[in-house]
Amino acid sequence: MSVAINIENVVKRFGKDTVINGLSLDIKPGEFFTLLGPSGCGKTTLLRMIIGFNSIEGGQIKVDGKVINNIPTNKRNMGMVFQNYAIFPHMSVKDNIAFGLKNRKVPKNEIESRVDEILKVVKIDHLKNRMPQKLSGGQQQRIALARAIVIHPEVLLMDEPLSNLDAKLRTEMRNAIKQIQQQVGITTVYVTHDQEEALAVSDRIAVMNGGVIQQIDTPKNIYQRPANTFVSTFIGLSNIVKGVLENNEKGKAWVKIGNYRFQMNNIKKDCGANCPVKVSIRPEEFIINRETEEGIPVVVKSSVFLGVATHYFVETKEGQEMEVIQNSDLDELIPNGTKIHLKVQVQKVNVFSEDGNRTFIDRGVRS
Amino acid sequence: MKSGKKGLNIWLVMTFAILALFLLFVVYPIGLILYKSILMEDGTISFAYFTKFFSKKFYWSTLVNSFKVTIASTLVSAVLGLIMAYVLRSIKIRGSKYLNILIVISYLSPPFIGAYAWVQLLGRNGFITRILNSLFNAKLGGIYGFAGIVLVFSLQSFPLVYMYVSGALKNLDNSLNEAAESLGCSVFQRVRSIIVPLVTPTLLASSLLVFMRVFSDFGTPMLIGEGYKTFPVLLYSQFMGEVSTDDHYAAALCVIVIGITLILFFLQRFIGNRLTYSMSALKPMEAQKATGMRNILAHAFVYLVVLVAVLPQLTVISTSFMETKGASYTGQFTLQNYKNILMPKNISTISNTYLFGLAAILLVVVLGVLISYLTVRKRSFLTSILDTLTMFPYIIPGSVLGISFLYAFNKNPLLLSGTAIIIIISLCIRRMPYTIRSSTAIIGQISPSIEEAAISLGSTEMKSFIKITVPMMMAGVLSGAIMSWITLISELSSSIILYTSKTQTLTVAIYAEVIRSNFGNAAAYSTILTITSIISLLLFFKVSGNNDISV
Repeated sequence: MSVAINIENVVKRFGKDTVINGLSLDIKPGEFFTLLGPSGCGKTTLLRMIIGFNSIEGGQIKVDGKVINNIPTNKRNMGMVFQNYAIFPHMSVKDNIAFGLKNRKVPKNEIESRVDEILKVVKIDHLKNRMPQKLSGGQQQRIALARAIVIHPEVLLMDEPLSNLDAKLRTEMRNAIKQIQQQVGITTVYVTHDQEEALAVSDRIAVMNGGVIQQIDTPKNIYQRPANTFVSTFIGLSNIVKGVLENNEKGKAWVKIGNYRFQMNNIKKDCGANCPVKVSIRPEEFIINRETEEGIPVVVKSSVFLGVATHYFVETKEGQEMEVIQNSDLDELIPNGTKIHLKVQVQKVNVFSEDGNRTFIDRGVRS
Repeated sequence: MKSGKKGLNIWLVMTFAILALFLLFVVYPIGLILYKSILMEDGTISFAYFTKFFSKKFYWSTLVNSFKVTIASTLVSAVLGLIMAYVLRSIKIRGSKYLNILIVISYLSPPFIGAYAWVQLLGRNGFITRILNSLFNAKLGGIYGFAGIVLVFSLQSFPLVYMYVSGALKNLDNSLNEAAESLGCSVFQRVRSIIVPLVTPTLLASSLLVFMRVFSDFGTPMLIGEGYKTFPVLLYSQFMGEVSTDDHYAAALCVIVIGITLILFFLQRFIGNRLTYSMSALKPMEAQKATGMRNILAHAFVYLVVLVAVLPQLTVISTSFMETKGASYTGQFTLQNYKNILMPKNISTISNTYLFGLAAILLVVVLGVLISYLTVRKRSFLTSILDTLTMFPYIIPGSVLGISFLYAFNKNPLLLSGTAIIIIISLCIRRMPYTIRSSTAIIGQISPSIEEAAISLGSTEMKSFIKITVPMMMAGVLSGAIMSWITLISELSSSIILYTSKTQTLTVAIYAEVIRSNFGNAAAYSTILTITSIISLLLFFKVSGNNDISV
């Protein structure tokens, strides 16, 4: 039923600008696959190449093993949900959803039953005969989704579908989208710049930057084991600290940040001794140490109490600003100006090469 | 709140003053026409003039003729304008910027110039007719009557539809197109089921403008219609005719015209409102490069249409340099025509045109900005009356306005006929609805909080209007004013009724010269008019900074 998408070495040029230069990735049948990256990273360009609004200047895209480069969009059998929904304002909800079926010359009674069925799936059957203009953003989004999947497309494409909704509706709709996608079981490519949204809905995520894929992985791995410093700072927040990797032997290595040393047992073997590294530590991976001198010495600059957690903004003696998150406890907040030491949760931190492009973490080792 | 109350009073005084002006110059003349149309010579009230019109075929057939040519020309204009707009918006056409200017120019010249130019080309003795006749040894009689009128009006009016629809297509979000495409729609299906329905309100609105323009134009059927008599021709001859003039009968005819345009106006509003969708284009349609046959066909079509549309202008300009003997050309190059019209000490025809146009524009802009400000920002019962009243001239054809002015202002204490003032005021009133509508749109885009900020900083309401709102509106208003100026200098239908030898304008002079068969002089006058329009248009592009025109 579900189909795979294979993108092989595709190239996209706009005039003389090469936006994507030889990008490859494979999307598995039935997968919810997300292209995530900052604006201008080429994610929407890639999506529009899959549906056919953008031409492909090199390489090929295969759907279900067939090359689709030269098939016009209206023959590709893909459903698309647009950022602004693109609901036809002059057609009722029902006519909007039936539009694709009419183009496919589906018999009238079948159109009727399929429209009714999909209206129930997206839970707007009570709006069937309404005109779309007065409907809310969330409802319009559901029409757009219904319209795209009622044609039983091989592939469902979504281009930042939630970016025009308010925060609460966004959460509600992303759960609905995920649920409907699982129910229909259709291969889905989803574009977003919102990392939380990507983590919430995806089976796998491709993080893109500058037209190049930085990492393809599950949401959990993307967050916990980023492939480079771009991913570690783009997904969530990471403090990047300079350090040195000492005597790497038998997978056990000492990482040294200033005078603070800790041992890690999941470092790849291919890096030598005394090599300079970037250590990436998420705010919640710090342990505040006020008893001893062990850890990175910092001064608390300010703090924000947010209920569940308390954020501390600190500064090292080199002047680097860092953020620390602690579960709020009943003690008083640490006053501004206090000198503290920060230890790290050794299993969780990530170590990258000095240029930040390569991770030294060996994921084969369970720590 | 002492200062606030004082500010309100100023606005109230202005509202009353403007209301009074409109009562005097719109309601009173039109009311007078209504009254005259049912007033018999013996002082009794009856509908006898209307019965007279509808009982004699000689009379009512002109109305049928008018409807025939108007409907035919409106349909052709709508189809041609729609296709041109879609092609130019969706396919990259070489030189489209210049084509745009040419299209606008072909629209801006008065229709009767097109009529007389087409007679020169396709008439009995026309340039093209003669070539065709000698080539195929045929005896073509030339294009007159119904076909001629429709040809002239269609070519003259499709640019209006084109400009409106082109603007609407710009506001159409391309993702609607893409959504339809992804749902399996071919190009033609897409145009039929998405594009056309969405631009229908615009298409209707612009078609109405075309309809009213064509329906009330008398110059064209006069010149190319020959025996084909339309309603405006009847109206004009009843009012100005040398044989028999009947004021009251002419008034009744005016009432019939107003009735028809009124019905059309409300019909268009009713249909338009039901089909209007607010759209904002995140990503407008982009003209794409086409390849192969599609590209060639698109270019051929667009260039052919534009060429035919500007052909009258080209004819007029080239004949202005040709020597004439009576009504025929000798084929010699000459500047004599220009000498004829420029050398006499009295060049008031040209100076009148510029003077009247400028004066009218100044009035229109000041009043238009004020009225739109009052109706948008100072909403009240009075200003909503003002809003309706100022839209009234929109449905009154120029000739009717001219006639009503002559009735209303031909004796003391309101003796204005024969003066320049009456022409300036009539131009002003004719253009007012357009200026108000565009100013209203511009004000709508300025947030009221900007003025409120000025007031909170200690400025008076009046001062914040003059120092903040007016300057913010200026760019839009100015480009609108230039467009108005171009339309006003080519106005004929009310000027032809109101002019005297002292207040003759270019269009009136051209018309008079054509009627007298002084084609050389007519062409020279037309060329001056066209060049003025072109320069003004270039100025418009400079001021507005874009190539989109709304008239």
